[in-house]
Amino acid sequence: MPVRRMEEFEIDRKPTRKPAKQKFYEFLYNQETGAILGRTPESWGKILIFYAIFYIVLASLFAICLVTFLQHFINPRVPRLQLDGGLIGTSPGLGFRPLPPDERSTLIWYKGTGYESYKYWEDELKEFLKVYKQKGQTAGAGQNIFNCNFKSPPPPGKVCDVDIRSWEPCIEENHFSFHKSSPCIFLKLNRIYGWRPEFYNDVNHLPSDMPHDLQAHIRNMTDYNPDYVNMVWVSCQGETPADKENIGLIRYLPHPGFPGYFYPYNNAEGYLSPLVAVHLVRPKTGILINIECRAWAQNIKYSRKDRIGVVHFELMIE
Amino acid sequence: MASKESLDHGRTDSYRVATIGPIKDDNRTADGQYKTRRKPPAKKRKPGDLDDLKQELDIDYHKVTPEELYQRFQTHPENGLSHAKAKENLERDGPNALTPPKQTPEWVKFCKNLFGGFALLLWIGAILCFIAYGIQASTVEEPADDNLYLGIVLAAVVIVTGIFSYYQESKSSKIMESFKNMVPQFATVIREGEKLTLRAEDLVLGDIVEVKFGDRIPADVRIIEARGFKVDNSSLTGESEPQSRGPEFTNENPLETKNLAFFSTNAVEGTAKGVVICCGDNTVMGRIAGLASGLDTGETPIAKEIHHFIHLITGVAVFLGVTFFVIAFILGYHWLDAVIFLIGIIVANVPEGLLATVTVCLTLTAKRMASKNCLVKNLEAVETLGSTSTICSDKTGTLTQNRMTVAHMWFDNQIIEADTTEDQSGVQYDRTSPGFKALAKIATLCNRAEFKGGQDGVPILKKEVAGDASEAALLKCMELALGDVLSIRKRNKKVCEIPFNSTNKYQVSIHESDDSSDPRQLLVMKGAPERILERCSTIFIGGKEKVLDEEMKEAFNNAYLELGGLGERVLGFCDLQLPSDKYPIGYKFNTDDVNFPVDNLRFVGLMSMIDPPRAAVPDAVAKCRSAGIKVIMVTGDHPITAKAIAKSVGIISEGNETVEDIAARLNIPVSEVNPREAKAAVVHGTELRDLNSDQLDEILKYHTEIVFARTSPQQKLIIVEGCQRLGAIVAVTGDGVNDSPALKKADIGVAMGIAGSDVSKQAADMILLDDNFASIVTGVEEGRLIFDNLKKSIAYTLTSNIPEISPFLAFILCDIPLPLGTVTILCIDLGTDMVPAISLAYEAPESDIMKRQPRDPYRDNLVNRRLISMAYGQIGMIQAAAGFFVYFVIMAENGFLPLKLFGIRKQWDSKAINDLTDSYGQEWTYRDRKALEFTCHTAFFVSIVVVQWADLIICKTRRNSIVHQGMRNWALNFGLIFETALAAFLSYTPGMDKGLRMYPLKFVWWLPAIPFMLSIFIYDEIRRFYLRRNPGGWLEQETYY
Repeated sequence: MPVRRMEEFEIDRKPTRKPAKQKFYEFLYNQETGAILGRTPESWGKILIFYAIFYIVLASLFAICLVTFLQHFINPRVPRLQLDGGLIGTSPGLGFRPLPPDERSTLIWYKGTGYESYKYWEDELKEFLKVYKQKGQTAGAGQNIFNCNFKSPPPPGKVCDVDIRSWEPCIEENHFSFHKSSPCIFLKLNRIYGWRPEFYNDVNHLPSDMPHDLQAHIRNMTDYNPDYVNMVWVSCQGETPADKENIGLIRYLPHPGFPGYFYPYNNAEGYLSPLVAVHLVRPKTGILINIECRAWAQNIKYSRKDRIGVVHFELMIE
Repeated sequence: MASKESLDHGRTDSYRVATIGPIKDDNRTADGQYKTRRKPPAKKRKPGDLDDLKQELDIDYHKVTPEELYQRFQTHPENGLSHAKAKENLERDGPNALTPPKQTPEWVKFCKNLFGGFALLLWIGAILCFIAYGIQASTVEEPADDNLYLGIVLAAVVIVTGIFSYYQESKSSKIMESFKNMVPQFATVIREGEKLTLRAEDLVLGDIVEVKFGDRIPADVRIIEARGFKVDNSSLTGESEPQSRGPEFTNENPLETKNLAFFSTNAVEGTAKGVVICCGDNTVMGRIAGLASGLDTGETPIAKEIHHFIHLITGVAVFLGVTFFVIAFILGYHWLDAVIFLIGIIVANVPEGLLATVTVCLTLTAKRMASKNCLVKNLEAVETLGSTSTICSDKTGTLTQNRMTVAHMWFDNQIIEADTTEDQSGVQYDRTSPGFKALAKIATLCNRAEFKGGQDGVPILKKEVAGDASEAALLKCMELALGDVLSIRKRNKKVCEIPFNSTNKYQVSIHESDDSSDPRQLLVMKGAPERILERCSTIFIGGKEKVLDEEMKEAFNNAYLELGGLGERVLGFCDLQLPSDKYPIGYKFNTDDVNFPVDNLRFVGLMSMIDPPRAAVPDAVAKCRSAGIKVIMVTGDHPITAKAIAKSVGIISEGNETVEDIAARLNIPVSEVNPREAKAAVVHGTELRDLNSDQLDEILKYHTEIVFARTSPQQKLIIVEGCQRLGAIVAVTGDGVNDSPALKKADIGVAMGIAGSDVSKQAADMILLDDNFASIVTGVEEGRLIFDNLKKSIAYTLTSNIPEISPFLAFILCDIPLPLGTVTILCIDLGTDMVPAISLAYEAPESDIMKRQPRDPYRDNLVNRRLISMAYGQIGMIQAAAGFFVYFVIMAENGFLPLKLFGIRKQWDSKAINDLTDSYGQEWTYRDRKALEFTCHTAFFVSIVVVQWADLIICKTRRNSIVHQGMRNWALNFGLIFETALAAFLSYTPGMDKGLRMYPLKFVWWLPAIPFMLSIFIYDEIRRFYLRRNPGGWLEQETYY
């Protein structure tokens, strides 16, 4: 009778104290209940089945959502959000090749004489330029190639050719001139789907911060052929006055800019980005040179801090 | 009062017995090793001292002759101490004041808030951030400021939440200060033959003090002269009757002897002169207060739960952090990256805002309780009542009104019940019979009590009365029955009076008649019934005077026994009309040499008084019992009274018998009754003294209804400890100093706001402003509700940990760009999640929480495996899926299809790479792709907010359907709107991209989380439907938290 009344006030419920070690062993395997890690095998089975079903259902839900979305809203050839509609924006950046082995570094560093030392950079460039060299062999790409010029932009679906011979002496056979301590660095403008450059049409009103030698060059070229005004221009220089001194003569091959007929980029099969080979003819050796290359068009913004419209790399030849 | 001692029914020595001698399980060393007078005021009590304090009082000042006493203190009964000696004593013993309980210094409290809980973990995170930034700053030219910012933000979070909790704590402790009675006390002292008025603190041992009625006794005093001196010892011993005090040594027990008066008790009547024998902390009061403040109370249940929970979460955070730190190394990450991962995992795992949320929830409940007259001193105590499984309640003032009230009358050979309710709503009786009129006249006239002035608007029962408790009861009863007592007394002018004295045990007075036709003067007498009866020869019954024969004496005895058995204090009344020829008006009555009859009087009737239970108490006790809470009465009062009150309030329920009852019913000796057959038990302090702890445990275990009577403060403490030993969470209610050790030791001590002594308020965690036991039921209800709601709140908050941490894991394991940044995690934890989590504190209970058992403190945790399983394993996973879906959608819309993202992390996060190719051949600069990444963070954040809508709604209920629960919690509805508005604000405010890296989202990016939000809602509704359908089933065992 009193025992039954106890149920009304369950006061005797303090668990008996056990040493920590015994508690731990009982947690691992409890002989009384047969529990392993706090659960009996049956209990483990049930909870695992429950969670298995739960996660399978959840994964299916996720997959259904993702597949539905990809099928209905994503076109594999055309980005859904373009230019200012997405986050890529309308101001392309510049890229350079070859890239250093560590992706966080922008230092091109080698010993001027040893093949072993510049082999990495040469291989890197060979790899990069492979598509330019072998374009005819790529299936489906070859027949798309169109010989563009300023008068005849590529028809839809066709892509313009890039003449690798025009980079002479920055060619593979010449080790991209690395072995002569006068390396060639390739510049390319970032591809943005549907982006069209706005050119500096009036050569007499070029931006004041454009280097003078580039301005002179632009005037020269447009005098020779007014179509050359339709170029996205490129200039490179040392970042600091000391760098400017150390960098020496710079040659841009074939021209200091990217021809306008390559744009817009429409994700056409076999599209090749136009390249400018920057040939540093005689940079000072044994010293680190900071180089900044900038692209010029009316709709390319520039900010050194945010790396907009500009690319930075360092060169060190020992 | 001395006359009442004769009515004690053999209770006389019980209190003394209860308070003498050692208590066996006190771990005290040996009897008599007790320190006495010369102890300097204790600054810090050591454990040994505490055992010392647990001993009962043992001094000899009351036994020695006055001369020896003067000798000992080098004092003189007329001239007092010399000033030099007094100064010397003061310097030696310190001021005559209680050492206030040791306060934790403010800065220690502040530091506890600053470094306790999760704060330490966040400090580690912040320091790691600073280290990472420092290393970056020294190695890279343009270090990213991210780590610096994050470090500052984390430090700020810790400091702000620390200051917040500190502020909350100090606010609730300030409430207490208002209770401190800071009125300075003065005492009249004789020094070098001069009467001085000194502050009570300046008294020293050996001082001769004069005390008069209305004073507070300034120290423990041995009386050397007294004139009608009475003290109220109730706050010390629990006895409600004033005790008379004089110079004679009457009892070995210092508490019982007549020649000692104790510090902080009140002088009720008369004047006295005495020698100070104990000061400050050495006084009886000081020792009890010291016993209380020296007790280690331990953590509150909710603090235990929160610690358990913090350990759990910290364990998970450290485990995951270290695991991924190691994995990052194995995967070949730079160690600095690994450190940054560690920071991210810590930040994601710690619910930064949760402790602040808990504090706010408790504060809200504390406020709500304060509005219901439960003032909470310590925030955590808010919940403790909810966990309480045993209430040890004091009787006087808590269960009862602490006001003697006439309960029964016996006249015309029948017992009449008087109305004892506070609002006079009870039964009424016939007030016209001649028997009542005669009785009423005696009760009115033979009564020295008077109402104090200036109480015109106050109900009669609540008026304050000058005079002792029984007379006050009679006065009030008569005022209610007859109206203006004062004018009746005026009309019947008192001619002569013999006040009470302990030898006669009666009080008599003679009054002029107000009846012009009958000039006979009236003699009225009241006193101990058997003594009164002895003096009577006739009895007044049915308007006629009859001879007091054996039959009538039998009737009297039966009535007397019956009323006494109810625990009531009985008084007898008789009168006599003095023949006018023998005692004409103007006759000189002599009280010293009695020249009027005091024998052969006319017996009129009996009146019995009790301190009646408060109106709301029986209901409250019943509610407690249905809520599975055991109510134990622990009182210093007599067992018969205690049992009577226990029965009338339902602590001993109807039909339940004690061992003694069974013995009486079966007519067998008590020793032959199997104690387990009795559900109820009344345990006397004397018995308790002889029990060892196992026997006490047995009593507590096997009796469901227990009354402890005649207990000393130390025994109250032992009872509380016994309950706690059995695993109960114990609440103690009390008002006196004698309750304070038990109040302190209890898991929650509840003191009385009006009647309670300062010491008891100091020791308590909660104060009932209206002194009403029924408020405790409110406290229990609120406490249980807040425990349930905190569970919900924590379940809600913890759920978002999974969508916060999973991006980091995916970032490390799948090499995808980070889907959710640390800043956005903080925005969730400290921004959008806060208000909804707090709003759950306002949630209404799902079912009648007063109909279930108290929670099991050992098994029913705040955060348990099932809650974690639900929050982390199920709902959190759905939320994470929603976040990742949004992430993939935005990435794909901008050009990075899902498969492209895997393995891209290194190039993505490299500043050197300015032309990263996406799925469409587009090339992204570092800045643009970071803008994309932060847009994804924002969208991930927004989708967490969206899925948290559903989470909040499902967390409203643990079992019921939301349809049943409704959406009437407006704080919660506001929370839903608030979190959405805040998310929109963070996303769309210009400048947020610079400050918090939050980017404006397209409207459609709010939508991908919707299917997941709906599935959370539907899944949980189905789950709860199944729970209701299959109570106790497998799903309940695994998912009902």
